[in-house]
Amino acid sequence: MGMSRLPAILAATPLALALCGAAALAQSCPKTGGTLTYVYSLEPTSLSTIATSAVPVALISTKIYESLLTYEGPALTPKPGLAESWTISDDRKTYTFKLRPGVTWHDGKPFTAQDVKFSVEDIIRPYHSRGKVYFGDVEAVETPDDLTVVFRLKAPVPFFMNVFQPGEAPIMPKHAFDGIDVKAVAAVRAAPIMQNPVGTGPFRFKEWRKGSHITLERNPGYWRKGFPCLDQVVQRIMPDGAARAIAIETGEVDLAPMSSLPEAEVQRLEKIPTLEASQAGAEALGPNLWLEVNMREKPLADLKVRQALSLALDRERIVDVIWYGQGKPARGPVVSTNAAFNAALKPYEYNPRKANQLLDEAGYRRGADGIRFKITQHFLPYGENWARLGEYVRQELGKVGIAVETQSADLGGWLKAVYTDWSFNLTSTFSHNYSDPSIGVERTFHSDFIRKGATFTNSMGYRNPRVDQLFGLAAREIDPAARQKQFDEMQQILHDELPVIFLMEMSYTHVWNRKVKGLITNGISMYSSWDGVSKD
Amino acid sequence: MSSLSLGFVSVRLLQVVPSVLGIAVLNFALLHLAPGDAAEIIGAQSGGASKEFVDELRRSFGIDRPLYQQFFIYLGKLLTFDLGMSNVQQRPVLDLIADRMPATLLLMLTAIGIAIVVGVLCGVVAAMRHRKWVDTIVSVLALLCYATPQFWLGLMLIVLFSVTLGVLPSGGMMTIGAQMEPLARALDIGRHLVLPALTLGLFYAAVYARLMRASMLEVYSSDFITTARAKGLSEGRISLTHAARNALMPVVTLGGVQIGHMLGGSILVETVFGWPGLGRLLFDGLLQRDLNLLLGILFISSILVVLCNLLVDLVYGLLDPRILAR
Amino acid sequence: MKRTLHFWRRYRRNRGAVVGLVLLLAIVLAAVFGPMVYTVDPFDMIGRPAQTPSARFPLGTDVSGRDILAGLLHGGRVSLLIGVAASLCATTLGVVVGAAAGYCGRGSDILLMRLTDFFLTIPSFVLAVVIIAIFRPSLISVMSAIAIVSWPPVARLARAEFMAHRDREYVQACRAMGMSDFRIAARHILPNALPPVIVVSSLLVATAILTESGLSFLGLSDPNVVSWGYMIGIGRTMLRTAWWMSAIPGMAILVTVLCINLVGEGLSDALNPKLQER
Repeated sequence: MGMSRLPAILAATPLALALCGAAALAQSCPKTGGTLTYVYSLEPTSLSTIATSAVPVALISTKIYESLLTYEGPALTPKPGLAESWTISDDRKTYTFKLRPGVTWHDGKPFTAQDVKFSVEDIIRPYHSRGKVYFGDVEAVETPDDLTVVFRLKAPVPFFMNVFQPGEAPIMPKHAFDGIDVKAVAAVRAAPIMQNPVGTGPFRFKEWRKGSHITLERNPGYWRKGFPCLDQVVQRIMPDGAARAIAIETGEVDLAPMSSLPEAEVQRLEKIPTLEASQAGAEALGPNLWLEVNMREKPLADLKVRQALSLALDRERIVDVIWYGQGKPARGPVVSTNAAFNAALKPYEYNPRKANQLLDEAGYRRGADGIRFKITQHFLPYGENWARLGEYVRQELGKVGIAVETQSADLGGWLKAVYTDWSFNLTSTFSHNYSDPSIGVERTFHSDFIRKGATFTNSMGYRNPRVDQLFGLAAREIDPAARQKQFDEMQQILHDELPVIFLMEMSYTHVWNRKVKGLITNGISMYSSWDGVSKD
Repeated sequence: MSSLSLGFVSVRLLQVVPSVLGIAVLNFALLHLAPGDAAEIIGAQSGGASKEFVDELRRSFGIDRPLYQQFFIYLGKLLTFDLGMSNVQQRPVLDLIADRMPATLLLMLTAIGIAIVVGVLCGVVAAMRHRKWVDTIVSVLALLCYATPQFWLGLMLIVLFSVTLGVLPSGGMMTIGAQMEPLARALDIGRHLVLPALTLGLFYAAVYARLMRASMLEVYSSDFITTARAKGLSEGRISLTHAARNALMPVVTLGGVQIGHMLGGSILVETVFGWPGLGRLLFDGLLQRDLNLLLGILFISSILVVLCNLLVDLVYGLLDPRILAR
Repeated sequence: MKRTLHFWRRYRRNRGAVVGLVLLLAIVLAAVFGPMVYTVDPFDMIGRPAQTPSARFPLGTDVSGRDILAGLLHGGRVSLLIGVAASLCATTLGVVVGAAAGYCGRGSDILLMRLTDFFLTIPSFVLAVVIIAIFRPSLISVMSAIAIVSWPPVARLARAEFMAHRDREYVQACRAMGMSDFRIAARHILPNALPPVIVVSSLLVATAILTESGLSFLGLSDPNVVSWGYMIGIGRTMLRTAWWMSAIPGMAILVTVLCINLVGEGLSDALNPKLQER
């Protein structure tokens, strides 16, 4: 198998693979010491993204665990991490990583290639929610020596260099699972390491006061000499939005990441000179909000009706009034900050008159009471904005003669209605694009994902053979231009057929105290290790 | 205490058993009527899971078995005080409850303390100065506190003391990250405790004040006070030793009954103030449909109520020895 | 007629109760007819969010630019409706259980009182939260949940009343005349036992409104209607900048509950001759 050193193919590669030494990283901390306290509404349920990649878990565990690579910039340019260098075979089916020597786990044991093989094969692939997407095509993981890992793939995976993020492919210590049956999901989830993590990251676990806070402290043996800059990282749990806003205003906490403040408060806090608010640093997540439509039944199975729904809703208003300007109208399944976005897509129109006309054409005339037909609506039970959105949708659809009854449910009831029973008409939800449509978009629109009981999949029952085919091709295509064409066509079809009513590209807003430096470094800034973050 | 009271205690304890059993049955039945289960929620938290994964979780939690089997497993474990593992948090339920119990107890006990001291004092004073302006003020204030939604009072107190005056913290249980001496730490917790305890306590203070006043007036009009007056005892002495002691009984009874009520109030107050207690644990558990956790909390909290009622019966006996002899 | 006059004369003696009654009537009228006169839809996002009161929006706008006054009027309907309906259900249930226990005595008494005690043991708000979460928030589920957790005190009171009346002479006379037990209980004892029950039941309305507001504050309310607790909940996120958003509906609850309590006291004074002397 022909191997080439990476710099030779660098110019030709679409994914901007780079072999780059520590030269690009800052050589020393602007200031060392201090505690960074950030606040989130929910308590993590675990300290590892293996169990769940929910926001609070991803926030804290990415400081403790690392993966083979680190990333720079919004488009996630790969940089060395636990792997010092790597080579990729010409046929894109063999990836060889040279591991950094002298790295130790927080418990002092040495980090080796065995840990990587174990983590990928026995933990990430079976248990991480995207493990099969990332490593499903990995035929074998070989470890010729303690510092070399070779991935052999069945077929090229275009996004393979994007997956080695600390939250997506965290490397875990093999020895922590000694005596645990890794084939049993319950045994893995109950493993002591899920609550008492041992990683290689810049911070190690110190204390977890349930319902109050989690403290991480500096890892003195961290491989990057002179780092991390901070002494401690603390996650505080405050369920009340107003309380979180007050805490950041008074300086009690330094950072409110991932839109953890009420949007209305952000507007006010932005104006305070000691605080900074930014929507940068989450480009590789790309959350996209839409209304999922159950297409199994009339009238919503009718394209004209779905077009009418789309025309009846004012996306600008949803962004401005419900999300207080934090987002922008969506134009399709891929968000505009994603490299695969099809810029030729037309913005959706707001035109209730045309909506009425389409509904008339479709044969749903208004009755004596002004009502054309009745449907029910669910909303994602993730907090107040979603309830507000549900109220807005009911109100606006009511104006074009569609009577909407809102059903409120907690997360369990909502999941069951939408993904297990398919007993819904319309529901709001959102989905992350992640760094690539093959990872984040396919699972909502490919007909293979019409699976009862599988959460956040194709609940609509949407089937389009051409869309399926395009996703299939793109998952294997290594020519970037051809792949983009496939994605462009897929987006155009979904844009026109409206299997979901695309409403808004969400944005994650982070608010922090200006004393904190060096937070935004790449498209997954809040899910990065923060080794170079400092505080004045 | 006499052997008679021991018998009384054991009889009361025996009466507790069917209640506890009934609670277990009710909780179990209610929670199984709910759509959706913990396995689905964990699947969703992972950002989307396959059906196979969700099914395997279900198997490992035992929630794929027939209902009656699940119930007998649950009952069997209850006997050994094994409340199972939290499906979502992967820790023993008893541990989770034990983690949160101190915070809730601190909050509730402080609130009860405030309620009893403020309520009883106001009630006694109002009754002693019946139909004077003090009485009117107490009555009006009590009526107001009685009619105020607790969570709203909490919000308004935050606006006043944290936002406008900036003298008290708006939430949490302690200042985090700061290294403190034990004494300073206690003071710090105290500062955080003031607003939530006041919020929770004022409602009950109003209840007690009204009750105390009414029952003092009732006692005043009864025969033995008239006798005491005839004997020439001073009015103050009559009020404090005779009337207050007798009037205290309904207050104590109510206190026991209201533990359960207060637990409900603490869900709201803990949510408003971010107090890391049992009430919030319950609400989080409910939103995440964490079955074992909910069953555990409901079980423990009803045991708490039952025990408090028992305690009240005993205190009642101390105040009025006739009860024990009955 | 004469009895009514007599009743009113006694009720009138409690000045607080009169004030409460007048205010309460005003609130009820506002809730019933307000939305007909002030025809703004409480869910329509018609203005900029978080406006202070102005001529166009007399009480300002909420977090989504909706008219707070409209919300207050519509919310009053829901709060009062749930309060009254829950109280009626709880009273009916409580009276039936209490009457059966008190009148029949013996086995059924023990059984029913056990049941009542059992429900008294369970933390009531917690139970309400669980019930609504399971059966999904809707007007019916909220109302039923509140009724289910509030009937036991009524049952105890009704039982005590029925027991007290059971062996009175007039009841024995009825029995001697061969009347059925049901008829005696329903037609003869009930009217006599009712006054204290009415007082408790009127106070239950107040408690029910408070409970409903707490539930909707936690997000457990019918998503198709506005209620006062829900308005406090959505205003909470802007407590710092726009405290009035939460303060206004809270005041509405406070005043309403206060009035109901005052009226309840007035009823108690008017219906309970023993307390009249105070």
